[in-house]
Order: sequence, then C-alpha cells, then structure tokens
Amino acid sequence: MENEKATPPYLEVNGLVKWFGADRAVDNISFGVERGKFLTLLGPSGCGKTTTLMSIAGLHGIDGGDIRVGDVTYTSFSKKLFLPPEKRDIGMVFQSYAIWPHMTVAQNVAYPLEIRKIDRAEIDSRVADVLRLVGLGDMADKLATQLSGGQQQRAALARAIVSRPRLLLFDEPLSNLDLKLREQMRVELKRIQNEVGITSVYVTHDQSEALVMSDEIIVMSKGRIEQKGGPHEIYAHPVNRYVSNFIGVANLLEGHVIRVTSPGHGEFEVNHGNERVILPCCLGEGLKEGAAAVLSVRPENVEARRKDPGTPRLEGEVLEAIFLGNCVDCRVRWGAFEWKVLAHPRDRLRPGERVFLHLDPDHSLAVQP
Amino acid sequence: MSAQDSSFVEVVQLSKRFGAELAVREVNLAVARGEFVTLLGPSGCGKTTTLRCIAGLERPDAGEIRIDGQVVTAPEREIHFNPEDRNIGMVFQSYAVWPHMTVFDNVAYGLRVRRVNDAEMKARTNKALELVGLGHLADRYATKLSGGQRQRVALARAIAYEPKVILFDEPLSNLDAKLREQMRIELVRLQHEVGITSIYVTHDQSEALVMSDRVVVMDKGVIQQVGDPETIYARPANAFVANFIGVANLLEGRLLSRSGDVSEVEIPAGDGFAPLHLKAAGGEGASRGQKIILSLRPEDISLHLQRPEGGSAVNLMDAEVIDTVYLGNFLDCRVKVGAHEVTLQIDHFERLSPGQKVFLTFWPDHGLCLTE
Amino acid sequence: MRTEAAAVTLAGAPRSIGRWRSLFTQESIATIAVSLIVAAAVLLPLATLVVSSFRVLDDLGFSTTWGLDNYRLLFTDHVIPGAFVNTLLISTGSMVLATVLGVSLAWINARTNCPWREKLEPFNLIPFFLSPFVGAIAWHNLAAPKTGLINALARNTLGIEGHLLNVDNIYGVIWVTGIFFTPLVYLFVVGSLRRMDPSLEDSARTTGAGLLRTTLTVTLPLVAPGILSGAIIVFVTSAGEFGVPFKLGAPYGVETLTTQIFTKAVGDDANYYLGASMSMALGAITAFFIFVQQRYIAPRSFTTVTGKGFRPNVVDLGRWKWLALGLNLAFILVAVVLPIFCLVVVSLHPVWEGEIILSDITFRNYVKTLAFWRTDSISAATNGIFNSFILSFAGASIAMVLSLVVSYMIHRTKGFGSRMLDLLCVIPIGFPGIVLAMGVLVTYIKTPIYATLWILLLGYITRFFPYGQRNISSVMLAISEELDQSSRMAGASWITTLRRITIPLLKPGIFAGWLLLFIIFLRELSISIILYTSGTETLSVGVYYLANFENESLTSALSVAQTVVLLACIVIFRRMAGREALTA
Repeated sequence: MENEKATPPYLEVNGLVKWFGADRAVDNISFGVERGKFLTLLGPSGCGKTTTLMSIAGLHGIDGGDIRVGDVTYTSFSKKLFLPPEKRDIGMVFQSYAIWPHMTVAQNVAYPLEIRKIDRAEIDSRVADVLRLVGLGDMADKLATQLSGGQQQRAALARAIVSRPRLLLFDEPLSNLDLKLREQMRVELKRIQNEVGITSVYVTHDQSEALVMSDEIIVMSKGRIEQKGGPHEIYAHPVNRYVSNFIGVANLLEGHVIRVTSPGHGEFEVNHGNERVILPCCLGEGLKEGAAAVLSVRPENVEARRKDPGTPRLEGEVLEAIFLGNCVDCRVRWGAFEWKVLAHPRDRLRPGERVFLHLDPDHSLAVQP
Repeated sequence: MSAQDSSFVEVVQLSKRFGAELAVREVNLAVARGEFVTLLGPSGCGKTTTLRCIAGLERPDAGEIRIDGQVVTAPEREIHFNPEDRNIGMVFQSYAVWPHMTVFDNVAYGLRVRRVNDAEMKARTNKALELVGLGHLADRYATKLSGGQRQRVALARAIAYEPKVILFDEPLSNLDAKLREQMRIELVRLQHEVGITSIYVTHDQSEALVMSDRVVVMDKGVIQQVGDPETIYARPANAFVANFIGVANLLEGRLLSRSGDVSEVEIPAGDGFAPLHLKAAGGEGASRGQKIILSLRPEDISLHLQRPEGGSAVNLMDAEVIDTVYLGNFLDCRVKVGAHEVTLQIDHFERLSPGQKVFLTFWPDHGLCLTE
Repeated sequence: MRTEAAAVTLAGAPRSIGRWRSLFTQESIATIAVSLIVAAAVLLPLATLVVSSFRVLDDLGFSTTWGLDNYRLLFTDHVIPGAFVNTLLISTGSMVLATVLGVSLAWINARTNCPWREKLEPFNLIPFFLSPFVGAIAWHNLAAPKTGLINALARNTLGIEGHLLNVDNIYGVIWVTGIFFTPLVYLFVVGSLRRMDPSLEDSARTTGAGLLRTTLTVTLPLVAPGILSGAIIVFVTSAGEFGVPFKLGAPYGVETLTTQIFTKAVGDDANYYLGASMSMALGAITAFFIFVQQRYIAPRSFTTVTGKGFRPNVVDLGRWKWLALGLNLAFILVAVVLPIFCLVVVSLHPVWEGEIILSDITFRNYVKTLAFWRTDSISAATNGIFNSFILSFAGASIAMVLSLVVSYMIHRTKGFGSRMLDLLCVIPIGFPGIVLAMGVLVTYIKTPIYATLWILLLGYITRFFPYGQRNISSVMLAISEELDQSSRMAGASWITTLRRITIPLLKPGIFAGWLLLFIIFLRELSISIILYTSGTETLSVGVYYLANFENESLTSALSVAQTVVLLACIVIFRRMAGREALTA
C-alpha cells in the first residue's frame, strides 16, 4: 500500500499554465496518468483541453509548470527546458486524420519507423502487424485518398502506435465521422488501446465518448479542472452543478440541505410557490445542514405516474412528449420549474395530462451549487 | 373532411429516371392540409428526388403531382409548372440564404416578387422574423449569421408569403448535434403555430420520429411503409424498416404455430446449440413452417444475473457477455446467444465482465415477427 | 529592428521566443533570411524610384539637383499630358470590352447548354498565354489601312476603295488589348458561376421569382465581386501594357505613359529621372486600383461553395444557343485563329505588301531568325531565344523556391511577420512591369549586375513571384496544418517534414506555378525592354528589334516561333494543372 503511493504516475502534468494573449487558456492545472491507462480531458470548446494536449505534444511552449513522462522531462518552465516535439516519442491522432495523401497507407504507417532508421524488413513486418490490428490488413497499398473517413482514422491510429511511443495523444479524433461510425469507432479505439497498452490522453467535448472509452475522466472548465474520476463516478456522483449539467442531462433544483439523516444521506428542501417540499436524497461531499445546494436528478430517474403517491407530492402537467423510439422525452411543468423526464413509450404520456413525479432518493444527489 | 382535404398534396405513380437508374419508382403519396409528413430513408433512396419533383426543380418521367387540386406536373400531358408558379416554400440543406442581402431583404423577397404593397410587405416580413426569433437581426447581412440563424432566415423566407406547401430538404443536417435537437423541436412548434402543410426529407430517423405526423419510409425509390411514428417504430412492416428506424436485433427462423395474436417461432442458434423456441407478436397471415424474421429492440430485452423462475421466465435465453459500453443513462451490452450476437440496453449501471453467463427474457408482445 | 520583427513570426507565441531559444531553430533562420530578401527585392527599387523622381537633370544632362521639375513636366510637357489621357482612355476602353466579352463567354460556358462548350473552353483561354505585343503585330498585318490582309482582300473582292478596317489608332489599341485580356475576366467569373450553390437560385425560384428575375437579383449580384475584380485587373494590366500601344499607337501619334517611359529609359534623350516621375504617376494609379480590389472587393466575394458535388443550374437557351455558339466562335476567330493565321502567312513572304503570293513562299525568314549557327542570322533574335530560355527556366525555378518558403511562412506561422510578408507579396502586383523595371534600373545601373542577365532575372522575379506564391498558397490553404504536425509527432525534424511531407503535398501547386511563370517570362516584354542591353536581348525584345529595324516578315517569323513554344506550354499546363489552377 505504502509502496504504491510512493510510485509517481507515468505522465505527470504539474502546475501547467498557458497564456493566449491576455487569456489564461490553462490555469495552473496538475494531474497524473498511470502507465497504460486511458485518460480523457472533457469540456466545452475553450475550456483548455486542447491547449493542455498541445502542451504535452510540444506544439507550443508553456508559461508555467512542467510536464514529465516516465523519467523524461518534456517541458519545464522553471528549468527553461523544452524538448522539441519530434524528440518526445509521442503518437498523435488528429481530428482531420492528417493522413498524407501522397503516400499509400503502408507508407504512411512506415514513416515513423523510417525516421527512427529501423531496418526495412522489420519495418515491413511491423507495419503489416499494426495494419492487421486496426483492421486495414488488405488496404496497405491503397492511397490515403481512396479511404473512407473511418478507414483514414484507422490508418492514423496505426501510424500513431506503430513506433510503440511512450504516449498516445488524441485530439477529438472522432468528431469528423458520422454518428453511426463514431459509435462503432469509439468501441474499436478503446479495444486497440487496451491491446497495445500505450498510455493515452484523449481530448473530446462529447461526454458520451468520454464515458464509453475512459479509465479516468477530467472535466475541465475555463482552464481549470472541475472533477477527476472514473466514468460511473463522474456520472453518478458529480461534485457540482457544472459537472452534473455537462455530463448527461440533469434536472437541477435550487434549495437547501435541511437535515443529515445518516452519513451521505439527508433531506433537501425546495420552495414551490408558497409551499416547501422536502425530498430525501443523497448528499455530495462537503454539504452540511443548512447549506445552499443544488439537487441533481437525471431524467431517467424521474418517474411520471398517474396515481397520487402521497408525500412528497410533485404534481405537474405534461407540456411536451417527444417520441424518440425507445423512449419518450417529456417536459413536465411543476410551478415555475420544468422537469425533464424520460418515460417509456408504453406509458403513453400525452401533453396536457396531470401526472405525479416520483424521484428515487438513491439517485437524487444534492451537490454544491 | 372533404376529399380535397385529405389529399391537399397528391403524388400519383411518380417515376423519375437518372440515366439508366430509376431513382423514384411509381410513388404514391397523399398529404392532408396542415399535415407534417416526412420522407425518410438512406441516401439514394429517392426521397430528395421526390421532393424536388414536387418543387418543380426536377421533371419526372411519369406520373402526376397535384397541389390543392391543381395539376402542377403531368409529363404524359406535357404539363409542367415552373417552381415559381407553384406557390410553395422550400428550405434547403445549405440554407441558401443570399449573402448579398440583409436578413430583412431575404425574407421580404417572396412578398416583393408578389408585388405586395409596401406597408403589408413590411408587416408580414417582420411578423415572419418575429416568429423565428430574428426580429432584432433584420438589418444584419446573412454572412454575419451563425448556421442556426441562417436556417431560421431560410425558414422565415419560406413562410413569409404563406405558400400552400413548405418543402424541407434535410434542413438540419448541417447543424451540430445540440443545435439540431433544439431546432427540430422549434420547427415542429412553428409548424403547429402556422399550420402550414409540410413535407420534410431526412435520413435521420430520430428527426422523423420527433417531428412528423406521418412518416414515409423509402428505400431504392420505393415506399416501404407509411404510418405515424409510434406505428413505424413499434410495428415495422419489414426488416428494412425495423433496422432503419432505431436499432433492432433481427433473428431468422420459422413459424411453428399461431394462437390468438401470438406466434411461436423456432430460431436455429448455430452448431452445437439447441434451437430457440420463442413467442412473439406479429406474423399475421404466415403459414406454418414459413420463414420469418424476429425483430427485438435492445430496450425490450431484460437481463438477469440469476436464472429467473416462474412467471418472469418467459422467452428465456442463455447468453454470454461479449462487452459493455457505459453511456451514463444506459448500459449497452453485447451478448452471445448461441451463435447470434444480440444487443441489449439496460437502464441501470451493472458491472458485467466479458464471458460472464447471463439470462435474457422478453415479453411476447415486445417481440415482432416479420414476414418477407 | 527588422530582424526582431521577423523573428516574431516563427513560433506563434511571441512571448515564448525569448525563453525557448531551442524552439524551431531551423525555421527561424529560414524565416529571417527570406523576409530580408523579399523586403529588399521589393522595397529597394520602389524607394529608389521615389528618390530619383525628385532629382532634376540639368540641361547638359550631366549633373542633378533636388526639385519638383519632373512632376511639373507631367502637366506642362507637350506630349505627357496627352499620353496620360490616352492611357486612361485605352484602359477604360479595354476594360469595358474585356468585361462584356469575358462575362458573356463565362456565362455561356458555365451556365448554358451552348453546344461544344467544354471543347471550346481551352481556346477561350489561349490569348491569356500569348503575347499581346505579337497580337498587335498580327492585327497590324490584318488590318493596317494599306498592307492589312483584310483590307487587301476587301479591295480585291468587294472593290472597296481605301480600307475597310484600321487598327493603327487608339481604337485598334483598345481592340487588341481588350480581346487579349478577356480571359482575365473570364477566369474571375467562370469559377464563381460554376461553383455557386444551386440552391441559392433554386430558393429564388421556389420563392416565386422567374428565371430573369432570379438572374438579375441573385445570380448576377453574387458574381459581381468577381466581375469587378476582373475588370479592375484588366484596367491595371492595360495601363501597364507596353507592346500594343508601342506597335499600334505610338507610330501614329497615340502616345501612352508606357511608351513615354520607354523613350526616357532608352535612346538618345534618355532621362531616368523624368522616367521615374512618370513611373510614379502610372504606379500611383495602378497601385490605387489594386489596393481597392484587394481590400474591398476580393474579400466580398461570397463563399457560395458547397461541400456537395452539385452541378450548377444550366439554362436551356433553346434556339438562342446557336447565337451563343456564334459569339464564342467569333471570339476565338479574332483572338486566336486570325492572328496566328496571318502571322504564318506574312512570315512565309520575303516582303509583305498585303497580298498572298503563293509563288513567293519561302522559309528564309525562319532561317534568318532561328538558325543561330549561320553567320547571316540576326543576332538580336537568336540571342533572344537563348536568353529567354535561360531566364525563364532559372527565373521560374528561383521564384518557386522563394514562393514556397514565403507561402510556408505566411500560412504556417502567425503574427506580425507573416502579415508583413503577405503585404510584401501584394505590392509587386500593384505596379506594372515597366514601372518596377524603371525602379530596378535606377537602383542597379551603377552596380556590376547592370548589362547582365542577372538584372533581368531580378526584375522578372520581383515582379512575378507573387503569381507563383498564390499558386502555392491556394494549395497550402487546402492542406491541413495537422499533416505537418503529425510528421513532427512521428519524430521528424522541421527540415525532414518539409522535404518529405510539405513539398510533396504542394507538388501540383509548385508545378502549375512554375509553368505559369515560365510562360510569363517567355513572352515578357515591358521589363525586358527597359533592362536589356546589347547581348542580353530576350525573345520579345528580339521581336521588338525586328519590328523596329527589320521588316514585317522577319518579325512575323520570330513571333510564330514564340507562339508555337507558348502553345506547347499551354498543352502541358492543361495536362498537369487543370483549368482551375489558372487564376493567379
């Protein structure tokens, strides 16, 4: 146990700062990634995730902090050290695939090995192996321009992993693909990363990509880290309103924690017109009795029933019921608040209907505002 | 409801050929006044060609198109109205907002062409702009607008002169996902408000389900099914529709027997596995031993860690986990049932490891037998 | 000062430079070097030109003093004010002619069902590559009052007294300049007509506008920036054109600024300082119009391109399509077929007197102008052939290397330096060749490079490298920066990345640019005429020499030779680059 604690993470970013003009694009952030793990930097555009990635890649300088991988220091502001990008031994996959159109797939993939002056026979066998791994075994001699978007992205991945680099960086690699292909590729990408076991940092603004692929997720906003944790932890236990809203959809009610019933559980009070409604819930970290808080409930954890359940009584009117096939996306008016409810199509909720909302206390979480 | 109302826009036996390829094959379609009908299908299915024939931008090879009782296209009788003579509105995928005009001039264009007097033209243009929420941007040039705003301008331009029909050619597909979801709800709201007859073309099934009164599913130039969204989703007419709308597990087998609404089917599970005997809805008109396809939606299959007993053990199948994909609100899970790969969706978080033995069940009325 | 400004360009983040000395060092050296070279090449001649224009030559022509007399002469001289007016008339006239023809032909080719339009398009562009000077010679032989072929035919067959046509006047200058610059307008317009999103017009139709109204309110306004750009370029190029007014205007009393500058640069009463002030006047006009075009019109060109490979809407002309075809054929006849035919005919006669005499046909003219090994050959012509090939080959190659580095710096680095370079690359386009050549002349006349091919090379590259740079830039803009970055990530240094990724990707642009410059240099006249000395004649100077000191038949022979080489280049160009790569 003690020994484990003493081992520093494989990739360590410490106190990273980057200015763009007068903007602090990255504002003193620190994190680490264990060897072989898949970390996702998640956030809206302009949150600093891509800047962080480019700093690791060495495609621009930094204004504070240091970055280290294994025992190699990539950049250190205090020591005025900067390793040029080509010396960092990194594989990178870009949003635009960046497959060189004047080369065949095999030539693209062989390039990093040629730069490293590896002999021809080994290059050929390694290129063939890695192309098979990404499912392009029979495409080696095609020109990059003859490939579809999905295939180009596979080729880009092959090129990034062929030299077995220290680190694999992904800059929104799937966002140019259409929906169906994207869903398919994210599972595939995760499988390949698992297989080659290269430590990876992935940048995306798509929360479902992050949930599907990552071992760990860092949610960023305005150049800072909001939360770091595993996918289920981030989804089920967001630390604040921002994370709760960014990952998935949530109903966010403002109110107070009025009682702590047992560790991690309590009651939440919300004003509803002149009434005060008390809702049992789970308590997020650092919430004490009387604290102002936000209650976060996912739409799939709100049930709309036609029968009166007694207390707590949340009676509302269905405003909209949008049929999505496997579920119905409803809006229910409750005083000034509009609930988002995910209902089953067989409930046949119709606009104008009066319903009673039931919240599952285990899936209602009070978090910091 | 008069006969004319139920077929405000009528397409009869429409065919259109591009070179040797028959893009649209004898399509029949009737759209009622005020209705929102969507033509849905993969690219190249003929939906856009059908729409462009209705607009008059394409000349069909055969058939007839009527709008409000007026024959606008009938190649056999050498009738072809130009697009400008049909009194329609159209919204294009590329927005097609004229960059050299202001927002106001774009929207006023149709009214000016119709020589509406100045005061009325201004009033109606402003009204259309208010409707789409762009009243404050009237003097802006179109090049200074975002994609979503441009699409609103295109919409306002198409409704400002109150055409008989408004045609939509994949208007949302250039927008990003979040904006698209927001815009489709807004579009439906607007359509209800204005009450204008609308024909909408898309390849996005969720767009079709959310927006339409009726959906027309097309493939290879032929209509596959016409119905309201719930029917199309719950009661697809064939395997193509079942797979195109939403996700469906399609298992091939034979009909064993039918009693009441329930069909019993036998599905071979591959070498070394006992065939599955399952009960499901559908299969009307099929005879014993006939080939059927069982369609199962991922969200209709229940997963059990222990073998269920008694009443809930209907349509029980042994399965083995292949992998799972965590999506937050859902857990997508691929399992092996015999030699078949089945996808299912669980609405709670569950730790499943690859290779783990699990059990599946589904209610007979959640499965659907399709005949081909 | 300047080194600092240049250094800022390389890494994107100026703040980092001081600290990260090891960052992109290969890039920084290349950047500084090229910035200095470009700045010196472009700015030095212009600065010297400004200074020279304020030096006044005394009556004996030996010493100079500071003063404004040169500028005063622009208004008081007995020829210059008239030349000024003529320049404006000719530029305006040819602009109108080229715009009307260019827009019509572009519309016919891009948007109508005119027969054979795909086949005719390459012929519409041929005049763009040929020498307008040779065009003027050809039209002189076709329609000079006495010796013109057309007039001779009219006299013999129709029995007309005197002449039918006369191009030896200001209208002739406008006519030849106009038809030879028509492809410039054509190229500016045809692209935007062809690439226009058809739904822009479809939506006007569905909104209720008919075909005519749609064309007037949607199609034309959308291509207006292209038309305006093309018109301005024609105006400016005509103002700087030397060959046509020299052949058809000056001998008949129609002087222009360019012919006047020429007389001040060479000849017995040469006065570089007065030439400099006239160059300043001409340059001020052209630079102003180019500034307006670059600043206000080019940015307004509406990006109507869609991702989808839509075909543009085609208008069914019905029976009118034969009229459209007739117009197109007529243009090709007057701009390509008749001039070349006439040159060939004239070149085969020992002496041209306006009539075809089959029994006189001889190849002696070709022998005298091309057979350099014979003692009776004319050295101005044979030297010109050698020199032009050397200059074109070397000039195009050096200019493309320069263009490559400059484009890379403009598009792959950010900040002050790259914007400065971008501006430097526009400046030469704003000044006619003859003006820039005057600058080069006054700058380097006292240095050893004067009277060598080097000064011509310098003039050529300075004036025309922006054309090559634009060719590369357009390709570079289409190539994502991530293609370079992923090579760096794969472990390759900047130089390796340039060699193995960037340059191979730019190859189509590099080749198209090279060939375009090769063609331009091969027919170049207005720079050469100022900078050549005996022994450094070029091909066009050879033609000038023959036209001035020998007879029409010899002139035509060399003109035909030049035209044949240029036509061969066009064929190669179309094979390699396709028609879209032309818009320089």
